[in-house]
Amino acid sequence: MIRVRFHGRGGQGIKTASRILGTAAFLEGYYVQDAPLYGAERRGAPITAFDRISKEPVLERGIITNPDIIAIGDETLLNDAAANVFQGIRKGGIFFVNTHYEASHILERYCLPECKVIVHDVTDITINTVGKASVSATLAACICRITGTAGKEALINAIKKELKSIELKDETIDKNIEAAILCYDKMSEVPIETYRFNPVSGPKIIAVKHYLPPKGVAVIYAKGNTKKRKTGNWRLFKPCINYERCVRCGICFVSCPDGCISLDTDNYPVIEYANCKGCLICYEECSAKAIETKREVRTW
Amino acid sequence: MVREMLTGNASAAWGARLADVDYVPSFPITPQTEIIENISSWIRDREMNAKFVTMDSEHSMITAAGTAAATGARVFTATSSQGLLYGMEMLYTISGWRVPLVLVNVARAISSPITLEPDHNDILAARDSGWIQIHVENCQEALDAVLMGYKISEDERVFLPVIVNLDGFYLSFTREPVEIPDQKDVKKFLPPFNRENGYFRASKPVSRGAALLGGTGYSFFKYQMHLSACNAISVYKGVAKEFKAIFGREYDTVERYEMDDAEYVIVMSNSFATKGKAAVHIMREKGHKVGLLKLRLIRPFPADDIINELLNRKGVAIIDQNIAPGSGGILYNEVCGCLYHSKERPNILLSVIGGLGGKDISQAEFEHIIDTIKKYHNKKKVPIKPILLFTEEDMKVTNNIIDIAGI
Ligand code: SF4
Ligand code: SF4
Repeated sequence: MIRVRFHGRGGQGIKTASRILGTAAFLEGYYVQDAPLYGAERRGAPITAFDRISKEPVLERGIITNPDIIAIGDETLLNDAAANVFQGIRKGGIFFVNTHYEASHILERYCLPECKVIVHDVTDITINTVGKASVSATLAACICRITGTAGKEALINAIKKELKSIELKDETIDKNIEAAILCYDKMSEVPIETYRFNPVSGPKIIAVKHYLPPKGVAVIYAKGNTKKRKTGNWRLFKPCINYERCVRCGICFVSCPDGCISLDTDNYPVIEYANCKGCLICYEECSAKAIETKREVRTW
Repeated sequence: MVREMLTGNASAAWGARLADVDYVPSFPITPQTEIIENISSWIRDREMNAKFVTMDSEHSMITAAGTAAATGARVFTATSSQGLLYGMEMLYTISGWRVPLVLVNVARAISSPITLEPDHNDILAARDSGWIQIHVENCQEALDAVLMGYKISEDERVFLPVIVNLDGFYLSFTREPVEIPDQKDVKKFLPPFNRENGYFRASKPVSRGAALLGGTGYSFFKYQMHLSACNAISVYKGVAKEFKAIFGREYDTVERYEMDDAEYVIVMSNSFATKGKAAVHIMREKGHKVGLLKLRLIRPFPADDIINELLNRKGVAIIDQNIAPGSGGILYNEVCGCLYHSKERPNILLSVIGGLGGKDISQAEFEHIIDTIKKYHNKKKVPIKPILLFTEEDMKVTNNIIDIAGI
């Protein structure tokens, strides 16, 4: 069984990537299970999706903590501890990253174990061919090829089926197929040593003790409890205030759903970028057109 | 018949579509919403011919489902977790009306703390409501159980509504290859509902939910519900036989996995049974005689089948993916209860609580359960308190959460 875990951000096509891979392998006759994991869904939030592909019925469920392949759709997640992208990374496993950097750079920078790092600038190819940065078909194509689970025909049929089901136009689907084939041809099959359960010493089951309140009760006392989870790295676009145009109406200040905009002593809005998640509501609401957006790439 | 990759939600929706239901009252709730989204888009595209109504709450939704069923319509509805609890009053009311319908519950642990992943405190809160309960392990079973559900519910020996339970996330959002039966085969298995007897018509009013004071009539009719629910065991078995003859898939009230020569047995239900089977498989490879008994029909409780399977085993662990604070595992007590009068009952009945809020149960934890049974096997005193599957590592994670919360 091959276990694939995708990481990306909401809106990037990660769930669809896992479904294209799943459907392609299914069309090739494999037993397949695929599933996305999302919490409170929001565009830009980290999202994970899983594929299990096997010649025998799949006797596993749920999240994959011991992947054979980790596929990273958004490189900024490498710096997000909460996204936990390195979980279960191991010697001999495959670590695929959508990036313009070299594999060696990633190996060194993140001190990875001796896994096979494969890089490809999937976003670049997708933007150039499709015109949008949704990497569902292209990312799935890379993993299809690397795992050798599906040929071009199955891949193309899977892309058609899955992109149709999310109601994309035929023209867009064709462009996605074109970009996917470009990616497919750039990659080559890599032998995979699949994970086998091998307990050295199992986890220790403990007898959970009784705790009096407050410890034993799920109550949050801390103010600003986001202190350990900055959402600023969710941004694909950054709102920037042009103070020459700003008329200090304060609309952005009251519109931000995350309270990331405060007013300074002269009543000018100030954005707190550590937590601004780039929803761009402030940008939409500013009638003076004083908020501009900048695409954020290569933030690491 | 076609084979497709379907989520558990889509499979359940396909069950409703193939059952050719007439009426679908609905209310959205994660992780169930995809079921009603599927159905509403099929109705929009005229692939399904049913009335679809979005209600103002689960309480109204279940009321609407019951009243429509009382007119003889074939009704499907779905909810989850807090929604099921919110509609709880009407679950009891409708079963007393003795009307057939199928409701899918997508299991999700109950607030608070609020969460999204499954355990079975939601569905088991409805265990005494008079509804038949079928709990499923995979997406195929979800589709098949909806079809079987109608046939059981509409049988006059039963005439009670049915809940099909499928786990949130582990099934609801997970795609697996699923066989979608042909409509003509489903028609053979599940003919249109015969709505002649006792159904409301404009010219023939009937009153369901009558008032009965004094206890005598109340006792009688409640006990009738109990007897009808008990009938559902043999009705279930008959329906399963017919289902197998047409579709080839076999669903007994319980499922036996590696049980023939098993000395130690894990009893569990729902989607985590897949994990249990994998664990049993690995333990078998190491030479341990372990088996798994999956509970599928939870109401009525198939006591005879359970007794049959568990007698003369050395030890049994019952994994409850639920918790009754102050008591322990809900199914543990029921399994113990049915074994009490048998002399050949297992020496050890271990109560295990795991998978709360969708927490994973690892291979090592399954092995720990079997090790624990073996440890107590030759001892006189066996703990009756449940073991919670919770590791040192889990405590670290929890301490971190507590730290963030500022405690
Ligand atoms: S909404 Fe625009 S003009 Fe108004 S305060 Fe904000 S940035 Fe300035
Ligand atoms: S984009 Fe604007 S509205 Fe959205 S979080 Fe950032 S500051 Fe707030």
